[in-house]
Amino acid sequence: MDDYKFLFKVVLVGNAGVGKTCLVRRFTQGLFPPGQGATIGVDFMIKTVELENEKVKLQIWDTAGQERFRSITQSYYRSAHALILVYDISSQPTFDCLQDWLREIEEYASNKVLRVLVGNKTDREDREIPTSVGEDFANRHNMYFVETSAKEAENVERLFMVIASELMEQARSKELPRYETPALSSRSTSVGDGGCCGGRFS
Amino acid sequence: MDCIDSREKIDELYKKLTQQEEENDKYLESIMARQVNLEAKLNNITKALPNLQILHNDAVKLADMISHTSTLAESVSAKVRQLDISRSRVSECQQRVQDLQDLKLCKEGVKTALENEEYEKAAGHIHRFLAMDQAALKKTASHMSQGRSVEDCFTQLDSATKELRLIVAKNFEQAAAKDNAADVERFFKIFPLLGDKAEGLKRFSTYLAGKLTVMAQKTLKTCLDTPIHDKRAPVVYADALTLLFEGIARVLEAHQPIVETFYGPGNLLDVIERLQQECDKESRKILTELIQRRNLDHIVRQVDDASRGGAPMHTVASSASLVSMAASASGGQTHRRAGSTGGSVESDRKVPDPRDLDPLLNELSIAHSRAELYMRFLRRRITTDFESGDEEQREAGLKQMELVLQRSDLCRLMQELLGHYLLLERYYMSESVRKAMTLDTLDGEDSQTSSVLDDVFYILRMSIRRSSQSGSMDGTCAVINDACTLLEIDFCSYLHRQLKKGYSSGYLDLTAQAYNMWQSSLQQGRLNTSTQSDSDSARVMFLAHLNNADASLEFIKVMIRGLEEDIVTSIGAKNLTANDQAKLSSCLSGFGSVTASLRHVAEYGLQQLIASAVKPRTGPWVDAFMQANHQLTEEEFASYEADEPFVQNLIHNLEGLLSSFKAKLTFANYDALVGHVASEITTQMEKVIMKSCFNRLGGLALDKEVRALAGYLTAATTLSIRDKLARLTQIATVLNLEKPSEMSDYWGSSAGHLWRLTASEVRQIMLLRVDFKAEEIKKLKL
Repeated sequence: MDDYKFLFKVVLVGNAGVGKTCLVRRFTQGLFPPGQGATIGVDFMIKTVELENEKVKLQIWDTAGQERFRSITQSYYRSAHALILVYDISSQPTFDCLQDWLREIEEYASNKVLRVLVGNKTDREDREIPTSVGEDFANRHNMYFVETSAKEAENVERLFMVIASELMEQARSKELPRYETPALSSRSTSVGDGGCCGGRFS
Repeated sequence: MDCIDSREKIDELYKKLTQQEEENDKYLESIMARQVNLEAKLNNITKALPNLQILHNDAVKLADMISHTSTLAESVSAKVRQLDISRSRVSECQQRVQDLQDLKLCKEGVKTALENEEYEKAAGHIHRFLAMDQAALKKTASHMSQGRSVEDCFTQLDSATKELRLIVAKNFEQAAAKDNAADVERFFKIFPLLGDKAEGLKRFSTYLAGKLTVMAQKTLKTCLDTPIHDKRAPVVYADALTLLFEGIARVLEAHQPIVETFYGPGNLLDVIERLQQECDKESRKILTELIQRRNLDHIVRQVDDASRGGAPMHTVASSASLVSMAASASGGQTHRRAGSTGGSVESDRKVPDPRDLDPLLNELSIAHSRAELYMRFLRRRITTDFESGDEEQREAGLKQMELVLQRSDLCRLMQELLGHYLLLERYYMSESVRKAMTLDTLDGEDSQTSSVLDDVFYILRMSIRRSSQSGSMDGTCAVINDACTLLEIDFCSYLHRQLKKGYSSGYLDLTAQAYNMWQSSLQQGRLNTSTQSDSDSARVMFLAHLNNADASLEFIKVMIRGLEEDIVTSIGAKNLTANDQAKLSSCLSGFGSVTASLRHVAEYGLQQLIASAVKPRTGPWVDAFMQANHQLTEEEFASYEADEPFVQNLIHNLEGLLSSFKAKLTFANYDALVGHVASEITTQMEKVIMKSCFNRLGGLALDKEVRALAGYLTAATTLSIRDKLARLTQIATVLNLEKPSEMSDYWGSSAGHLWRLTASEVRQIMLLRVDFKAEEIKKLKL
């Protein structure tokens, strides 16, 4: 049954190979499929979670990290309620690229979007980015921060649940939708510009 | 436990005890009744006991017999098994004898066949030889007197095998070089007989690849030679790709049966893997040509720079759109591109005109769709080829296929191409929409909307359609997303900006008097005509934009419906996975937020219209109420009732006002306008009523007037505005009471009178009646 009170779009971005797909798979299916091929274009998954007795539907867009998919990825920024920017704690280059990703976010995303920085692969022993460095970066750019391991299922659930509850909070308080959307307005609410994606056309 | 402290309790307890006693009695009786039965059963058991002993003895005997039989059976079956082993050894022996005999035959046969160049025959012998259990034969030979000759056979046959392999390979290559299809096939068939399937497939694939190269070179040349003015010239590289893919498909179609017949199913992937290398090489050539001749890299860089705002020397006007798109994407509904239309400083590095991009975009989309079709063709072929294999093999094969295809250069190149296409398509939409805004004019005399509406939706729909023709769902979704962004930010803020100018600039400051003067001077044609037509056209444009916002809602609905069909048709329903469908509908639902923003804009426009065109005029009309006398004598009432001067005048004025908009507004906008006018009038009426005093007949007259007004307004719109009039109607009812006490009947009655007035408001209104006494009103129970 497609029955939910809130609908949020969450978009994952970050360099190729940092584990975006694994984070999504871990959260939506409880799996860690090793040896995954690179994501092509953009992948789409849905998970409905329950928070404070409310059903919250998370639409998760898992984007390809490679440069040649950038045009596709960019088109998803604007309708996102939350953006998860992922790097690999065992790879300095993926951390160095965060600056470029942020520039892209500034350029395409709504300024109200919830931004979360995720350092993935804490299971790796060859850490290159200390936690404090990631934290520092997140603080400087006004982002939430969490370190995760999709392999060990560490903090993955928490990451998405915090996002869901934060967005729900936003939706309920200051950012109550300004407009009614035609079909579903009475049933679902969402945050962001013009209370988007509550509407359904079919 | 409760204390037994009263007679009632004692009685109660006694009753309980008696009851229990009775129950116990009954229970005992029933137990007693069963005694007989039990005794009879015990009797039976005692009788049966001796029989049990007999039964036990019989059982022991039976067990003995069974174990005896089983031992017997085992000894018999052991013999059978031994027989079986012997028989299989005999047949093995026969086989070996047969092999030994064949070995000689093969040796001889190969020799003569090779001498006579009968390679098939020779290969047949070798095949027989290879099928033998060579190790076992050698072992047997060592026990035999003729051991030497067998060894000889082996050496000779081994060398013959090597020789034949070389010959076949050489002949195959010769045939391939001469492109002698019959010979190629002839020698291709021999490889598996020599136990060299892999080698055969490799050589055959290489041969096919060579054929492809020749063919591809020819087609590329023809394509490049296409005259510039040819009809196909704008899509010549897409055509080249098409020809290449079709060529590969033809080659595969022609040769797959040979492979399958002589090598069995499940080998096609190997052939295709080799051919794909060739396809990669050739498609790279074509795409390199495309990129060079169409100046793609340069254009992409220009557009990319423009959209990133990283090129200050570019034409300001053109690049501003995407820069500010990004700026306002982060700034919400801010008014972007203020002044971007001014000062288009030309520089040496111009950004491309969207119209010039049109053919290129088409070509890129077609090129991508061809590759998509080709990949689909390969997948279908390979999947069918694996179908006869077992589950495990098939799965591994299909996995391998995905790896081969996804890692192919062609696939990667196409992803890059799609990326470029999407970047340019976004730019194309954004620039074309911007142009449509600058060129915005009224469609015609009778048109309610302006050209921007049709233009914008035409552009977006065309772009989304073109993207779906690429065959890529991700690409289509990206363009849909970009279109949503454009509508929500660029288009909405354009309308908002236009509506912000107001219905008629300067009019706001005019008093009603000035308006009347202006109107009369208008009638007398004394007004400066140029200013008049200027503000006239400004007003017409304002209404057009208000209508644009409303009409867009319908346009979006129609567009979505059309797009769903378009997309499913162009990508093909059977190629759509459930995930693709979900992606599509999620992206299409993005238009929902556009709809919301458009409603917001339309509402804003209406507010503007009310503020400048309704409020200043209705004020004086309603204020006239205060000049009228509301304490009427019978005579005055009779004459008042005859022509209701105030309300008829008001209605007449409203009629004039509304009718001036009726034809110029969309239905929804007009209805909304009437609704707003109704609210405005009732609020103003309430104010003037509160400032007046009434007697009984004055109240009666007011009630009639309010009814007339409500009747007029209700009839003016299709929306239900009863609600908006409720307060005013109730005020009139209160003022139309015979005597104050009636009020409490109304108030308390369950006649479904939903009061919009509070008790204190009712009292306040009643006080307007000069003939009602304040104490009486105070006494009312409300």
